[in-house]
Amino acid sequence: MQGGDQSRVHPALKELVAEASRSLARLDAGRLEELALSCQQLNRNLAAADSEGRSRLALQSREAAGEMAVFARVLEASRANLNVMNRLRELHRGRLEYGGADPGWVRTESGYGDD
Amino acid sequence: MGTISSALSLISEGLNADQSALNIVANNVANANTTGYTKETANFSEAQPLYINGVSYGAGVGDVTPTSVRDRVLEERLAQQQQLASASGSRLSALDTLQALFTPASGSSSSTAGDIGSDITGFFDSLSSLANSGDPSSSSLRTNVLSTASTLAGDISNAAASLNSQRSALDQEASGVAGQVNALTGAIAQLNKQIQSTSPNGDAATLEDQRQQDLSSLSQLIGINQVTTENNGLSITTTSGQLLVSEGSSYQLTTGMSGGVTHFYVGTTDVTSQLSGGGGTLGGLLTARDQDIPNAVASLDQLAYSVSTQVNALNNQGTDLDGDNGNAGNIFAEPTQVAGSAASMSVVMTDPNHIAAAGAGEGTGDNSNATAMANLANQSIVNGQTPTNYYSAFVTTLGSTVSGVETENTAQNASVTQLQTQNNALSGVNENDEASAMTTFERSYQAASQVFTMLNTLMASAMNLGTETTVT
Repeated sequence: MQGGDQSRVHPALKELVAEASRSLARLDAGRLEELALSCQQLNRNLAAADSEGRSRLALQSREAAGEMAVFARVLEASRANLNVMNRLRELHRGRLEYGGADPGWVRTESGYGDD
Repeated sequence: MGTISSALSLISEGLNADQSALNIVANNVANANTTGYTKETANFSEAQPLYINGVSYGAGVGDVTPTSVRDRVLEERLAQQQQLASASGSRLSALDTLQALFTPASGSSSSTAGDIGSDITGFFDSLSSLANSGDPSSSSLRTNVLSTASTLAGDISNAAASLNSQRSALDQEASGVAGQVNALTGAIAQLNKQIQSTSPNGDAATLEDQRQQDLSSLSQLIGINQVTTENNGLSITTTSGQLLVSEGSSYQLTTGMSGGVTHFYVGTTDVTSQLSGGGGTLGGLLTARDQDIPNAVASLDQLAYSVSTQVNALNNQGTDLDGDNGNAGNIFAEPTQVAGSAASMSVVMTDPNHIAAAGAGEGTGDNSNATAMANLANQSIVNGQTPTNYYSAFVTTLGSTVSGVETENTAQNASVTQLQTQNNALSGVNENDEASAMTTFERSYQAASQVFTMLNTLMASAMNLGTETTVT
């Protein structure tokens, strides 16, 4: 009964992990930062937990293994995506700096600076 | 010095240019919800200068041409992730069907492929009952052996038939994808022609949007690589390098039957094996057709072959109720090779008296051969494993494959969502928007990394510290 009450207050760990994956897919930074705080609190709770609490968390950890694998893969894909975005940004900066883009005025510029 | 009329002309052109720019903005707003529409920006070009007495004067703003704000790098990354997500999606769907076949149906009175595990136990238990009954001549116990053998053989052969049906359905589906691929590559080649004849001076934005949409659809069907060519043209190859589109020309993906399944060709080259395991729906369908289902069939074949041959061999070593010594006959149809054993598994013995419960040369009251046959249940007769363990390992491996593909699919779909979000954020890019989008991405990634690290620590600690108990 106590376990049931606890799970109403603290959703199962697997739901938290699944929520982290969904938030990362949506790039919901605010939600992820909230989840990070929740995880900090959970770590503190574990340190102070009695054996029943630890057992409950051990059980939840095993149940969340699949969601954790998904989260790890989403994180990995996000890192790859972030790398792509960073390279893209570098490209844009390069274009801005060296005028490598294709602005229409380049073709119509007289080149003599007399206009 | 310009004249008053030229000054008025300058102002008038400026106003016209502003109007064109406003039209572009209006177009962006009107198409805000149009799928595949890429936001356009106004490009103001300088009009040809006026020359008066050899001196040039600025002539104001000339034509305003819209330019689509698109990022090939991002779009290609998106296409690549879409290919992976579609492949794992279609494979997962096939694997789900496959797994359902081997899942026991709850509440069903008739035996199905999902009951093979209990069928194996049931068959060897019936032999055990015959051996341990104290009356190896018992007609009902002998009938029960043949009955459980029939159930086992029936469920294995039905499973093999279902797998073959599923393979045919996947084959048909894959074959249909070729037509869709050809329609899209043909359309892209046509669009390439139109875009190349428009660029670089004109506005090909609408055509490029259309081409991008076709590329996105193509990416969901098949694994492709894109190569941008001169004048904004595009060549497309399969991931293994077969040319599908070269600027204005497209090359058909054709099909033909070989070994009972559809094979795929570009020109005369058979690209089936390269497409299998590759991207897009086609890659996923072919992986299921050529890898997952054949693996499942091979496992069932091995099980059927080993059980049939081992049981038959022992039955032919004993003495049956009619006194036939070493010649009692086969219980199961004797397979000639492993391949096809599951599909052809059946019980050929019709008379229960021919079960050789007694040992060689023993009287009909002996039970030693029935004991030997029952003991096969605990011997490593199927690829070094007991029949039950072999089947369990097969089901576990299948479950683990499904779970792995499910994980991949979820992660790839998340990646697609992420890239689409970024693509939308950057389609109206200016430096500030881009910086803001990047900051959000970096913040999200950093926070997610923290969450992951903390969860990892938490779970490792919990599992080390906690003794798992059932919590109600």
